[in-house]
Amino acid sequence: CAGGAANCRLSLQDLFTRAVALSDNIYKVAEDAFRDFQKTYATGREFISRAINSCHTSSIPTPADKDQALNTESGTLLNMVRGLLRSWEDPLQHLTTTVRDMKEFPADMIRRVQEIEYKTHQLREGMEKIIKQVEPGVINDDIFAAWSGLSSLQEGDKNSRLVGFYNLFHCLRRDTNKVDNYLKILKCKVVHEGSC
Amino acid sequence: LLLNINLLNGASSPGKPVILKCRSPEKETFTCWWNPGSDGGLPTNYTLTYHKEGEKIIHECPDYQSRGPNSCFFSKKYTSIWTIYVITVTATNQMGSSASDPHYVDVTYIVEPNPPMNLTLDIKRPEDRKPYLWIKWSPPTLVDIRSGWLILQYEIRLKPEKAAEWETHFAGQQTQFKIFSLYPGQNYLVQVRCKPDHGFWSNWGHENIIQIPSDFTVNDTTVWIF
Repeated sequence: CAGGAANCRLSLQDLFTRAVALSDNIYKVAEDAFRDFQKTYATGREFISRAINSCHTSSIPTPADKDQALNTESGTLLNMVRGLLRSWEDPLQHLTTTVRDMKEFPADMIRRVQEIEYKTHQLREGMEKIIKQVEPGVINDDIFAAWSGLSSLQEGDKNSRLVGFYNLFHCLRRDTNKVDNYLKILKCKVVHEGSC
Repeated sequence: LLLNINLLNGASSPGKPVILKCRSPEKETFTCWWNPGSDGGLPTNYTLTYHKEGEKIIHECPDYQSRGPNSCFFSKKYTSIWTIYVITVTATNQMGSSASDPHYVDVTYIVEPNPPMNLTLDIKRPEDRKPYLWIKWSPPTLVDIRSGWLILQYEIRLKPEKAAEWETHFAGQQTQFKIFSLYPGQNYLVQVRCKPDHGFWSNWGHENIIQIPSDFTVNDTTVWIF
C-alpha cells in the first residue's frame, strides 16, 4: 500500500458496514445459543424468574429506548459499545472453556459459543478503529463491568449450574442485541447523517 | 347477606385469567392481551399489574382502552427495552379474586411489525425490452426505519387467481420488485409482508389484483426444434 499504513485505512463507512454485519451475526448466533439451551435444559422450568437482575453488565448505564439512544452522543455510545464488548471477553473465555470441558453439552452449542467469542473479539478490534476515526485523540475507555459468575458455572449441584449457564446465555443475548442496535443507529448517524 | 344470595345463585369467585400474548409493532410501544376466564357469574374487574427489572415498585396498566377489551397498551413513556417486565392479571369480583401466572416479557424479543402499506401494481413496457410487472409498497406507518432503530426486509408472494400455490420472492430492504415471467391473460393476486432485522414476520398485507394483458409475451423463450 503506497504512502504507508496511515493512508490505507478503511473508510468509516466500510468499517461500520463490517461492524454491523458482524454484530448482526453475533446476535443471531447468541439468540440460537440461548434458544438451544432453553430447549435442551430449561423446558418447563422458570429459569427466567431467576434471571432478573442477573447481568453483570447492568452496572453499565445504557439507553433503554429509542429516544434515549438517539439522544446519546455518538462518542459516548461508541464507548458504551466498546465497554460492553470488553466486559464480555472474560466471561466468554470462561464459558468457552467450561462448555468445552463439560461432556454434557451438545457439539452445536460448543461451536456457537466459540464463534461468539471469536467474533466478539474481532468486533472489539473493529470498534477501536472506528473510535480512532470518530473521536481522534479521546481516550476514554474506562467503561467496564467485572464478571464474578465463574463459581455459578462450577456449582456441584446440576440445577444451580444450569441456572448459572441460563443467566449467562440470557445476558449474552441481551447485550449482543444492544450492541447490534446501537451500532446500527450509529451507522445511520455517523455515516448517513441520521437518515438511512 | 350478599354472599349468601350469590352462593344460592351458584355464583363464585372468578377463574384464573391467562395472559395470551404481548407484541410490539415498532420496538417503541407494546400491548399485552389476556383471556379473562370465567367471571363466576358476577360483575368482574380485571387489573394488570407489573414490575420492571431493576425496580421494586409495582405499577398498574397505564392504558386499558386503546387496544380494545382485555388488553393493556404501554405507550413510549412506559416502554423500555432490554428489561424484563413481570406482568400479572388479577380478576376480582364480590366472591374473591384470582391471579394469572406471571408473564415475563422483554420488548426486544416480541417485535412483530404491521404489514406494509400502499401496495401498487403496474405493467411496464420499456421500449425494446421485456414487459414486466412492477410491484411497489411502503413500510408500515409508525415504524422508524430512518434512524436504524429497526431495519425492515420484505417478502412478496403472487399467484394466478385460481392457482393453489403462491410464488414467493425475497425483496431484501427494497420497497419495489419487478417480475418478468407471468402467464398472459391471467388475473394475479399479490401480497407483501415485512420482518424486522430481529423479530417476527408481519401478517400478509392487503391483497391486490392485476390482469396481465394477453400480449404480455416473452419473445426470447421461443425454442426452434428442427
